[in-house]
Amino acid sequence: MKGKKRVIIQNNRVHYEFVIKRNITIIQGDSASGKTTLVNMIRQAENLGESSGINVSCEVPCRVLEGVNWKIILENSRESIFFIDEENYFIKTEEFASAIRGSENYFVLITRENLYNLPYSVEEIYGLHVSGKYRDTRKIYQKMYQIYPKTARLPVRVQKIITEDSNSGYQFFENVCAERNITCESAGGKTKIPEMIGKAGTEETCIIADGAAIGAEMNLLSNKIEEKQNVHLYLPESFEWLILNSDLLQDKEVRKILENPEDYIDSTEFFSWEQYFTKLLIQKTEGTYLQYKKAKLNPSYLQDKNKNKILESIQGIQWKIKSLK
Amino acid sequence: MLKIYLGEMKGAIYHPPTYFDNCYEDEWLTTPLAKEMIRDVDRSEVISAHLIDSPVLGPIPPKDLSGGIKTLLLMAYDTDGKIFNASVCGDNCAKWILKLGEQKDLTINLRHVMRFGKDPFEILILNTGTIVRNMSEFVDVAEAYV
Repeated sequence: MKGKKRVIIQNNRVHYEFVIKRNITIIQGDSASGKTTLVNMIRQAENLGESSGINVSCEVPCRVLEGVNWKIILENSRESIFFIDEENYFIKTEEFASAIRGSENYFVLITRENLYNLPYSVEEIYGLHVSGKYRDTRKIYQKMYQIYPKTARLPVRVQKIITEDSNSGYQFFENVCAERNITCESAGGKTKIPEMIGKAGTEETCIIADGAAIGAEMNLLSNKIEEKQNVHLYLPESFEWLILNSDLLQDKEVRKILENPEDYIDSTEFFSWEQYFTKLLIQKTEGTYLQYKKAKLNPSYLQDKNKNKILESIQGIQWKIKSLK
Repeated sequence: MLKIYLGEMKGAIYHPPTYFDNCYEDEWLTTPLAKEMIRDVDRSEVISAHLIDSPVLGPIPPKDLSGGIKTLLLMAYDTDGKIFNASVCGDNCAKWILKLGEQKDLTINLRHVMRFGKDPFEILILNTGTIVRNMSEFVDVAEAYV
């Protein structure tokens, strides 16, 4: 499935309205914010239709996935949004991760646990809050808000960079940092980032990681940086997205795709968006001087003009002026 | 004292709200502590053991309280020695968990990093046998288990 899906669920007391645009969305946040009420309403509407007194408006069916038969239900469903409440332990299993990889459905998971089996985006972790009241009635509007806003504590004037991986992204930022006498280190994977934060000194440090798949780490990372105010997180979709978004390729189609990636990224083909952006960049640069390989950075990206184009597009980091050689 | 076992815990009640629905006692709801917790977390008023006035849902039975408050009530009043998964509680329950831990020996299971606030506290982490006294110490220990 692809594309954004607007969901409106309401009865005479509550009105939920939100947009789902990726295969995996997480809802967490405070107790008593209406998460279980939302799932209960979807379940009743699914079972009883109009006679439930609940109105569900969405271009695809909204359903609840629960109980021991979840796998059978999933195998026989497509083009639906499945809501799964926190009591369903199976969302933590490898079996569930395998079942939803390549699925034609979207999934909204209600949980505060960190689901390391699943590559979900930092942008798709939400809480629910009351956003207003219907005039002259007791009915309230419930909307979703991002738990981890992407501009939190940014921009930062960096003195040290830590990258999630050791591939092209690290090679690019290592070069940028070397020119500016800034330290650049690779964490060697997202699971090592908390340890790197713990070891960070007093310099203004920015961690650059793939936002598209770092959702499971965010509970720990956000709490770690809360205790270290000089450490900041910059979480673009991926390094490949940074290149595409910089307009270095001067490609009309890429610009159009980036306006609404959800219209192009099919959940059956891509478990998370960074896989799509990598494929797109490889396709678009094939046979050109910018031919991209993830494992080793093409030196063309380090030419001043190209490098600066990418750096200028990064809004979360303020770079020192290059040191004179 | 509050004691926390971090991560997967065999024998812990994974979904306390369901356990609550089937095991709670009427008298739990009408204690001053329960009324205060329900007012704070659910913004609802206890009218009687069978009726709560919710600003959103209207008059509701105890079974329609939030999962967080049900878990707090179990932590406060369950006498079967069960250990409850506190990851069904939001951060707005954290101060009550700390308070309950000051009043009695309370062991809970936690599968994510809950924010216990900026004030100092005292929590025994059962996985390591260490006592943590602020969020920084708590997060440093928790990262190996959640």
